[in-house]
Amino acid sequence: MKNELKIITKDWDKLNPLRIEDYIAIGGYQSLEKFISKLKPSEIIAEIKESQLAGRGGAGFLMGEKLAQVAEEKGTKYFICNLDESEPGTYKDRAIVDHNPHLLLEGIILCSLAIGAEKAFIYLNGRYEEQREILAQAIQQARKKYFLGKNIFQSDYKLSIELFSGAGAYICGEETALINSLEGNRGEPKLKPPYPVKAGLFGCPTVINNAETIANIPWIIKNSGEKYKEIGSISSPGSKLFILGGVVKNKGLIEAQTGITLRELIYDFGGGLLSGKEFWFAQLGGSSGRLLLEDELDIKLDFNKKNQYPLGSGSVLVVDKTVDIYDLMLSWASFFRRESCGKCVPCREGTFRLWGIIKRLRDREISQRDKEAMEDILWTLNNTTFCPLGKFSATAIQDAITKLGKDIFKKNN
Amino acid sequence: MQIKINNKKYEVTEGEIILDILNKENIRIPTLCSYGKLKREAACRLCLVEVKGSNRLTTSCTLEAQAGMEIITESEKIRKARSINLELLWSDHAGKCSHCKKNRQCELQNLAEEYKIENFHFIPRKGEITSQEELDLIRDDWSRIVVDDKNPVIARTTEFCIECRRCLNICPGKMVGFNYRAGDVVIGTPYEKTLDCLFCGACVKHCPTGAATDKNNLEEIQKKLDDINILAVAIVDPAILKSINNEVVEIKEEKKLNGFLKELGFEKIFSLNYGMEKYLQQITEELQNKKDKSMIINSSCVAVNRLVEKRYPELKKQLAKVDIPDEIMAKVIKTDYAKKNKINPKNIFIVAISSCTAKKSQSYKNLDNIITVRELGRMVRERKIKGSSVKELAKDEIEEKDFSSAEKIIKTGELTKLVLKKIKNKKLKTVVTDSVQKTKEILDDIRKRKEEYDFIEAMICPGGCLNGGGQARKIEKVKTNK
Repeated sequence: MKNELKIITKDWDKLNPLRIEDYIAIGGYQSLEKFISKLKPSEIIAEIKESQLAGRGGAGFLMGEKLAQVAEEKGTKYFICNLDESEPGTYKDRAIVDHNPHLLLEGIILCSLAIGAEKAFIYLNGRYEEQREILAQAIQQARKKYFLGKNIFQSDYKLSIELFSGAGAYICGEETALINSLEGNRGEPKLKPPYPVKAGLFGCPTVINNAETIANIPWIIKNSGEKYKEIGSISSPGSKLFILGGVVKNKGLIEAQTGITLRELIYDFGGGLLSGKEFWFAQLGGSSGRLLLEDELDIKLDFNKKNQYPLGSGSVLVVDKTVDIYDLMLSWASFFRRESCGKCVPCREGTFRLWGIIKRLRDREISQRDKEAMEDILWTLNNTTFCPLGKFSATAIQDAITKLGKDIFKKNN
Repeated sequence: MQIKINNKKYEVTEGEIILDILNKENIRIPTLCSYGKLKREAACRLCLVEVKGSNRLTTSCTLEAQAGMEIITESEKIRKARSINLELLWSDHAGKCSHCKKNRQCELQNLAEEYKIENFHFIPRKGEITSQEELDLIRDDWSRIVVDDKNPVIARTTEFCIECRRCLNICPGKMVGFNYRAGDVVIGTPYEKTLDCLFCGACVKHCPTGAATDKNNLEEIQKKLDDINILAVAIVDPAILKSINNEVVEIKEEKKLNGFLKELGFEKIFSLNYGMEKYLQQITEELQNKKDKSMIINSSCVAVNRLVEKRYPELKKQLAKVDIPDEIMAKVIKTDYAKKNKINPKNIFIVAISSCTAKKSQSYKNLDNIITVRELGRMVRERKIKGSSVKELAKDEIEEKDFSSAEKIIKTGELTKLVLKKIKNKKLKTVVTDSVQKTKEILDDIRKRKEEYDFIEAMICPGGCLNGGGQARKIEKVKTNK
């Protein structure tokens, strides 16, 4: 298939996630060995910089930059793998652990050693209990093989990895909230600056990266950053995991090159829509994602900052015309009404009131005042909140109103 | 370094916080969550400003000054943002002011007035909704309420709370925090247990709304004051003169206060300095008679007593066996004074007007009630006493003698000085401390036997009773053109 790619998902069908031998058999931990025997930390970082690998969590910050900044700092440093995947409809990071936990571990070890951290954390979504078990076993196995611990490959490098399960809050995917949670505080965002690269976990320089981003690292070290850069879109090259959901024929996880279009994803990979369904719109990136209509399906999906449609977590929800838009809107609104941390006024009160209004909208009880109130709330969520969650909570509903517009406020059934 | 604010140049230092500059230069900026030097939470999103070159609104409480910065503090966009955010807070509040204890002393109410906030913007009115289910929903909108009315000092209800976090940041014991999340967030204790702290009252003092207030039955007190068969006695703590003006603007000095107290129904008004003098005498005596190597901790700060009882039970014996000045004085009034004036002590009702909230956590033999400055203000407002018609009156005296020198002990450190002056043995080792943090450090040292003292003067409120948790804050109100 055009644009098909196997970097992260390579050999998934051959692997038993509970056996390190399987991963070693397909060339696993060779990148780590290469690093220990031949490379300096600065060379690894240069390689990652060269690859132009952007963070896959949604913000798209260049990973090499982050690593380089922390590598320059002195004293205790930390590396954190963000596996607090909680965007509705997204399970790419979980899939990585389910199929190839050692790929992730190798990536974490490489990055941690590159920046000079001796302690790394994997921050797991609290509901990923099974994945925690898999990772715990994988860490055990890696220690036994001296890929982890005090003398990695008989060198002086040392690293320990600790698993930490969150209590199940969406906001803890945001890096500063994640740090708060890891420190034992209430999971809510901190003020930036200082950024985690300067003062992160326990005030030490910290790199936080999404699990998917990290899973690319072994390939980059093995094959060079230059080769990675050749894959996919020019502005943010590489592979990307997508989760296809909704009314498509083949739902599930897809690995493709960045720069692929939604149309290709839905029709080439997803096999098109289920029979008898008529395309209405697609939502890109979970509950916080934007809505794309038929004529927007040809835009390229990558992490270019100028993109009107941010890729977000990479999940794609295809919606057909039989779906009750009010139910969908209510599901977005309830999600954020539940997941706002409650710190700042516009997000705490705004998501709460928005939820109330959309309930009335669903019941066709909406009044003129409600319509105005809704506009006001969406505006303040967009403009005045403490962290991006406020903006996220407004995105989909705002799009529904402007794009699916005319019919939404009709009072008849 | 220069920056421009509203097109006017100002000299500032680099890195200075814009909000502080605005306050210093008297440029109006609304705030709710920030207060003084408390941690800047940037939670209320009201102090938003525009910075030239960025189309985002930024909170001035977190913004650092940089050379060449141009700040705009008022624009249509800023006003819109502030209005919507205030309205969101207001939707929980609308219509409740009349029965709120902080009515007319509320920062949110003042801001709502300043920004002309509509009452029901985010909540539909009854007529706009037809189904019963939806009507129930409106009721739900009002019901995220956790009430703590079991403790003796602080009445807490999240009904009036705006989650500004001042109490959370000011609390020296970190007794409260956030419970739940999103729209369900409430300030509360772990597991929503009844508050059982030192009761220093800092949270009540700093609460911008009526979420944390003084607990008392003012109606019951007022009834006693109005009862002609009962002699109502006020004991006035000299410390309250510092802040009573913040509650009742007409009261500028003691004589006017006495007039107001008379209007409220107090028949006799005494100054606490008599009780303070007696306290001084008694504690000096105890110190003179103490055995070697034993330690005495002053007992006039009830919050310190509570701290010792809760955290340092082994030091409980060291607390001076002297009552608080208010109780010493109440005892004199109900015994000697009553006898001399032929009054049945049962018909005397003594109220101490105090800058302290912790005193309320104990029960006393002779002292009948304690009210704070804020509660006095509330009583005056409820009585609708006209300030201009109130006379200036002299206070009453128990003994014809001047005790005003004892008044000094409302400030930390003065007690020790006065005690040492009275005492013959000058070799005493003493230590003076205030605030929970510093007091704990000293008590920890004593517990670990690192240090030994003869006398420890400890106060929980920084600066002593003069800055007590029962004092009133100045609540600024911006005049609006209607």
